[in-house]
Amino acid sequence: MTLLALAGCGRQAPPSDTLRLAIINDPIMNAPLSPDIGSVLINKIIFPGLMRPGDSTTTEPDLAASFEVSTNEREYTFALRPGVVWHDGTAFTSRDVKFTFDQILDPKSGTLQWSDFSIIDSVTTPDSLTVKFWLRSPFAPFLTLLGHNAGIIPAHAFQGRIADAVEFNRSRPIGTGPFQVAESVAGSYVVLRANPRYHGSPPRLSRIIVKIVPDVNAQVAQMLAGELDLVTLEPANLSGLGNDPDLRVDQVSVPQHYYVGFNQGIPRFRSPLVRRALTLAVDRQAIIDGVMKGSADYPQGTIPVALGEYYAADLPRIPYDTTAALALFAEAGWRRGQDGLLRDASGQAFGFTLLVDKGNPSREQAAVAVQQQLRAIGVSVTINTMEFASLVRDYVVPRRHEAYLIWWNTPLDPDQFSYYGTAQSNNDVLYSNRRADSLLARGRASLDPAVRRAAYHEFQAVEAEDPPVLLLYYPRELQVRRATLHGLPALGIRDALRHTEKFYFAAGGR
Amino acid sequence: MIRRLVGRAAQGLLVLWAVTTATFVLIHAAPGGPAVLADPKLSPVERAAIESRLGLDRSLGVQYLRWHGRLLTGDLGDSFLYQTPTLATVLGRLPNTLLLVTTALVVAILIAVPVGLAVGQRPGGPFDRIVGVVNFTALAIPPFWFGIVGILLLAARWRVLPAGGMMTPGMPADLVDRLRHLVLPAAVLALPLAAELIRYLRNAVAATLEASHLPPARARGLAGSAILTRHVLRNALLPLLTAIGLQVPLLVGGAAVTETVFAWPGMGRLGVEAALGRDYPLVMAIALVVAATVVVANFGLDLLAGWADPRIRSRR
Repeated sequence: MTLLALAGCGRQAPPSDTLRLAIINDPIMNAPLSPDIGSVLINKIIFPGLMRPGDSTTTEPDLAASFEVSTNEREYTFALRPGVVWHDGTAFTSRDVKFTFDQILDPKSGTLQWSDFSIIDSVTTPDSLTVKFWLRSPFAPFLTLLGHNAGIIPAHAFQGRIADAVEFNRSRPIGTGPFQVAESVAGSYVVLRANPRYHGSPPRLSRIIVKIVPDVNAQVAQMLAGELDLVTLEPANLSGLGNDPDLRVDQVSVPQHYYVGFNQGIPRFRSPLVRRALTLAVDRQAIIDGVMKGSADYPQGTIPVALGEYYAADLPRIPYDTTAALALFAEAGWRRGQDGLLRDASGQAFGFTLLVDKGNPSREQAAVAVQQQLRAIGVSVTINTMEFASLVRDYVVPRRHEAYLIWWNTPLDPDQFSYYGTAQSNNDVLYSNRRADSLLARGRASLDPAVRRAAYHEFQAVEAEDPPVLLLYYPRELQVRRATLHGLPALGIRDALRHTEKFYFAAGGR
Repeated sequence: MIRRLVGRAAQGLLVLWAVTTATFVLIHAAPGGPAVLADPKLSPVERAAIESRLGLDRSLGVQYLRWHGRLLTGDLGDSFLYQTPTLATVLGRLPNTLLLVTTALVVAILIAVPVGLAVGQRPGGPFDRIVGVVNFTALAIPPFWFGIVGILLLAARWRVLPAGGMMTPGMPADLVDRLRHLVLPAAVLALPLAAELIRYLRNAVAATLEASHLPPARARGLAGSAILTRHVLRNALLPLLTAIGLQVPLLVGGAAVTETVFAWPGMGRLGVEAALGRDYPLVMAIALVVAATVVVANFGLDLLAGWADPRIRSRR
């Protein structure tokens, strides 16, 4: 009874200069380490990089004041912003930048960004406010990558391995961002307060509270209860929000493409005709409407619409057309037998096992939709649902997969050489197309946006003829925010959090 | 008495060893691997570096012996996910779980004892039937459902209680605030537990009332209430304690779901994260701490049982 009596009193509306957001796990607050999404998000706030995303395809200086690129495009010289201090008051210098990249380039350090920056040959510091990067070859995504996950960490805060700095990583990180950690309670929350010495425009909020809420339904409930101000949700969770007038849902295009990948080491997937036929045979609009509740864009190639001018908007839409699909299958030597199954000349049926990771309703439902639609034209698909870790480790890495439903989540740059270039490190589908190779190489090597645009548009045209994967959709991120919260750039949450000093609550409060 | 204590301690150690061994076998037999290795972008070099750092490049036998060897020095290794010493991580969460579980247990006992005594005196009566239906419902509905409905009504719609967490973040420590956060999760845990205890108590009371030693007590002219407390409750206490003992592991396990729904920073939730992420050292540490908690709790209940029933004390 006393407990119930307590229930009614003491509720205190937090001041509207505090933003409350949710992540699903305890973060490791050390930008180069960031092993999970929760860590990635909070580190965007605490640890700025040399650059940051401007809009969907531009990048702007952050800790850098300016930069120069040599004529051979392999030497980048950054003039650091003078007068920047770490949250503990120490001066930020070129030594910190070099230290951070030394960690990133050392596979033993425990950072996970080596593949982003393996293009770096060396980093030098001519003086305390100048950093030079020497690249092995010209590399267009470099600036975007500097503004992606490569937040700079303070050299003076570490002795030994940065992964062993538990105190720093868990409760007392030191960055240069607009908000600094004031309090961290394991499993509960991290309180960030505005950094009065921030190098950019002064933060408009006084605090950001990052709560750890592992369950998505609980996040929805906390939004409804007025205990969170900003979360990103899956389409399936939207209905739970009802039509709360205090909340707004923004749909933001993000640089992701979801697809069914076919292992092209297996002969029957090697034929471009077969991959085109499979694409035509799947009703992707139905998946977008049914599974994604409309919050996704119809796909063209592997470069999503979020990449703005690099997306080839003028290419003809690849429709859902089972007749055309069967014609292509026939051309490739697969015809429907008595039992309705597609068979080759020797009588072997066309079928495969589709791997999908467990636990995400959108992906599991999309896999079932693909299975049903392909069955309708005589392709038998067996779905094998497993944990993501097992899918990657036991199937994709040893190339034991036939087909899998997966996605890439990229920086805001169209470079996909490592994903779809012949024999490249992330080309898990073993796609190989000479023309695509040379276009992707040209696109990543040129710093001229016009040259890049032409290369990537042509690459998407090549993909229409020889699709590397069966594109399903480009998801839009569903950002649910309190209606009074403003100042977020129209970017995915990962990139938007590089701009938290601009966030504010409009008058009217809660 | 001392011999008995030593015997129980040895038994407890054996249980702990069996639990850690079973956990080790199960977690490695489960498909999948550590989530820290799940990034498809990892290069083979990075993958190998991580495996060697985590000791995953050794054979399972070596990993098993190493773990138990380090246990003797009190070192349970570092969590893969948290990159912190596991024992400290788990022990940091243990008080939160104990607070939740103990509160739920106390609430459940406070509900179960009067209700159980009342229905046990008139089994088959109208009150017994009503309680039976309520009980059945409470046991049949999964706790997370209660949790979500409770949050949606009390937190989201009426806004009388917080939706989750242990305290309002960024506010100075405040007892009222802590209690408000405790109400919903503790109630969700206590409800099915109370139902379970009422069932045990009802049957025990009914059986005692039929037992032969009561008519003499009545004949001695003892009042009804005295009979109830001195004879009936005392006799029914033993099955109640046994029932609580059986519930403790379930309670700690059930707390995992409740803790997740209410974003309660407890050990159960940590265990779920550890198991899903195949964080082997963390899973092992949690198994050990949970098993130790249960062993200690049962030991305590045993002592209580000895107090409640002198026959148990003298048996050994």
